[in-house]
Parts: sequence; C-alpha cells; structure tokens
Amino acid sequence: MDVQIRNRPSFAHLMVRMNPGDRMVAEAGAMASMDPSVSMHARWNGGFFGAIARRVVGGESLFVNDFIATAPGHIVLTQPVPGDIACVDLQGQSLFLQPGAFLACEPTVRLSVSWAGFASWIGAEGLFRLKVQGVGRVWFGAYGAIFSREVDGHYVVDSGHLVAYDPTLSLHVGASGGIFSTLMGGEGLVSRMRGRGRIYLQSRSLTGLAAWTNSHLYA
Amino acid sequence: MKHEVLCRPAASIVRFWMETGEQITCEAGSMIAMSQGLTVETTTRTRGGGGVFSGLRRMLAGESFFLNHFTAQQSGQSLLLGPALLGDVLHHPLIAGGLIVQAGSWLASTRDVQLDTSWQGFAKGLLSGESLFWIKCTGIGDLYLSSYGAIYSVDVDGEYVVDTGHIVAFDETLQFELSKASSTWLQSFLGGEGIVCRFRGKGTVYCQSHQFSSLGYMLGPMLRPRRG
Repeated sequence: MDVQIRNRPSFAHLMVRMNPGDRMVAEAGAMASMDPSVSMHARWNGGFFGAIARRVVGGESLFVNDFIATAPGHIVLTQPVPGDIACVDLQGQSLFLQPGAFLACEPTVRLSVSWAGFASWIGAEGLFRLKVQGVGRVWFGAYGAIFSREVDGHYVVDSGHLVAYDPTLSLHVGASGGIFSTLMGGEGLVSRMRGRGRIYLQSRSLTGLAAWTNSHLYA
Repeated sequence: MKHEVLCRPAASIVRFWMETGEQITCEAGSMIAMSQGLTVETTTRTRGGGGVFSGLRRMLAGESFFLNHFTAQQSGQSLLLGPALLGDVLHHPLIAGGLIVQAGSWLASTRDVQLDTSWQGFAKGLLSGESLFWIKCTGIGDLYLSSYGAIYSVDVDGEYVVDTGHIVAFDETLQFELSKASSTWLQSFLGGEGIVCRFRGKGTVYCQSHQFSSLGYMLGPMLRPRRG
C-alpha cells in the first residue's frame, strides 16, 4: 500500500494506492472518490460504548470505514476543513488525537476513546480524546498547517490550536497571564502541557475564523 | 495565446498572454487585472449563439447572467483571471466531444467554445450534491475550470466512484448513476457516504479534494444568529 499526502498544506488529501488484500481504516465520510475494486464497510468507532460516548459528548462520528482492496485500485481520502495532514508511524506507542483530527490508519492500529478530563473541557479541548495505539501508520488532519514541538517541562498552547500529543504529556488549563491580559489580550484560557513528549499544533483555529466571521456579519 | 496557471492549489489564478484579435470569455467578476490594449464587451451569450434565455439558463446552472469577452486590440496583452473562492484552477483542452461541468466551476474559455445548459434530471441534480443544471461545453478550444479545494483528474476505464459534491467536470462519453458506496444502503449511510456517483465508460473525470459545504457545516453552529 502506497499512501501519498497531496497538495500540502492548504488542501491536503490522501491518495491511497492499494494492492489486493490491503486494508485501510478511515473516518466516516472521508472518502472523496474510489475505484470500485475497493470495498467499504462501516463499523463502530472505538467499540460500541466508546462510539456512543464520543457521539454524545464529543460530537464525533459514530462509525469508521474499513476499506479492503479486492484488486489493485486507489481511494482518495479528505477532511472537511482546508489544511494540512500529518502521518505518524507508531511503533507500539500511543498518541492522543483531539476531536475531529483523526483521518485514517492502518488496520493494525487500535482506536479507543479516553477521558480527557475537565481541565481539557474547560480549555475547550473536549471531554474525550481519541487514543491511537499499536504498530502502523496513522494520518490526522488540521485546519491550517501542522507543526510539531518537542516539549520538555512546560509548554503553553492557545485553546483550539492543539491537534495531537504524546500520552507522556499531561494537559492543564490555565490563564495566559494576569487577569488583564487573560481578558483583554485575546488569548483567554490556554492549555498548559507538562511532561516530556511531542505535540502537534495547527496554525489556524476554527474558533478564530468564526470570531472573525461573526464580527463581519450583519454590519 | 499562451497561458499559465499560478499559485496552485489554494490561491490559483490564470494568466493569459494574448495577440491581436485573440479573445477570452469569462464569468463576470473574475477579472483581476489586465493590460491597456484589451477591450471588454459584456453580453449574455457566447459566440455560438443564444440570447437572454441562455443567460437565464446559465444562472440556473450557478454561473453569472452576464459574460465578459476580453479581446486584444494589440499584441502582447496580458490578462489575469481568478475565481472568488479559495481553490484550484485547471486547464482542459477541448478537442473532440463535450465536457459536462458542475455548476459554478466554469471560469473561462476561448472563442470557439460553446456553453450550453445541460439538464441532468431531478434525481441526479438534487441528490448528487451538485446543481439541477450543468454546463455543457463543446467546440474546439481551451477551457478553464475552478473549484474549491485541489482538482485531481482520474482516467476512467470501466467504473469509478465519486462522492457527492466532489465532481468538478466529466467527459460526455461517461455515464453516471446514483448509487451506494458499500454493498448495502445501510452500510453506505452509516459510513457517512450516503449516495455516491458511479461513473461508467471511458473518459476523464475531474474531482475536487474538498467541499465548501463541509467547512460550512462545521462553521455554521459557531456563527451568531441574525438579530430580530
């Protein structure tokens, strides 16, 4: 199976070339086009209860699709927002993905839902997060470009910009500065990452776009 | 006439170098800049004919009522065109046979390309996520299409599946029908794909990588409602 990320970073999508027997797992609704030699089956996302929990609390899709190639062919996978896609090759470790970031993975990667905590929720990062674990490649997307940082100690991320992070990092909510800068500086609450590991950030946030659009509506 | 598509795929524009007498017809409002030796004429029809009614039909197909014709009066003129939305611009040489273009994706064409509105039928129009009317381009010349997202082409020989809302254009030689993405309708809807378009035959289909409505669905709930 050959997977290419095309048209980075503004309109990134995956071109997945498959040989007979190859399998790929993708987020519901991610398929843009495909050869008829690839078959598609929907299944619960992260188990029945996990899927329900994600749907009710996280507002995420209930299902993921299994793509299986019966003859050589390709599928094109895309995301709803314009932006970049990153690939991480898991070697047994796990990674936390923010709600909506997951795009696709190899079938050897296990998807599960984990409790992110109230700190994450207050910081507008969601009560649940998706945990991907195993051996294989996982692809996730973002609104804007994706860049990563190696954290050792403390790191501060504005809410809405976090895409993925290593489980070795813990997430705390905090103010960006004093009371004045928190209220007037446009940063509001921020996420404070503690520990040692890698984080993935997006260069734009949908809440930023929404705020800008709102300020131009019905003027 | 030479052309170049620049800044692909997010902020694409097309640049033309035109010699005396050469003409480009484009959607009203798509001109970004031009040199002084070009004249502009605004009509409702292409050279192939049609009048006010072809303009009205074109509006039904999501295009502008008026068309602008840019004609070079001197040699070495340049013209810059771009679509309103972020996205890709694609050049398609029209040689033989027609191209069916999704509503809103036609950007410009050379003089001998005729545009007509094509009716795809109620079910296909409504359920394909596109418009009821499509634009059918025929003749010999160059055609420029635009779309939100990146445009990729697929050479179909046999069968190919495109999700609704991702079609930009396809060769007239291809037939398409509405179909399910999985073995059953339930599976297709659970998997978030619902109805898909299944192309049959031999020809090229142009697809767009993203859909503006998907971004709209995500952004919509975050926007404040109109007061009063």
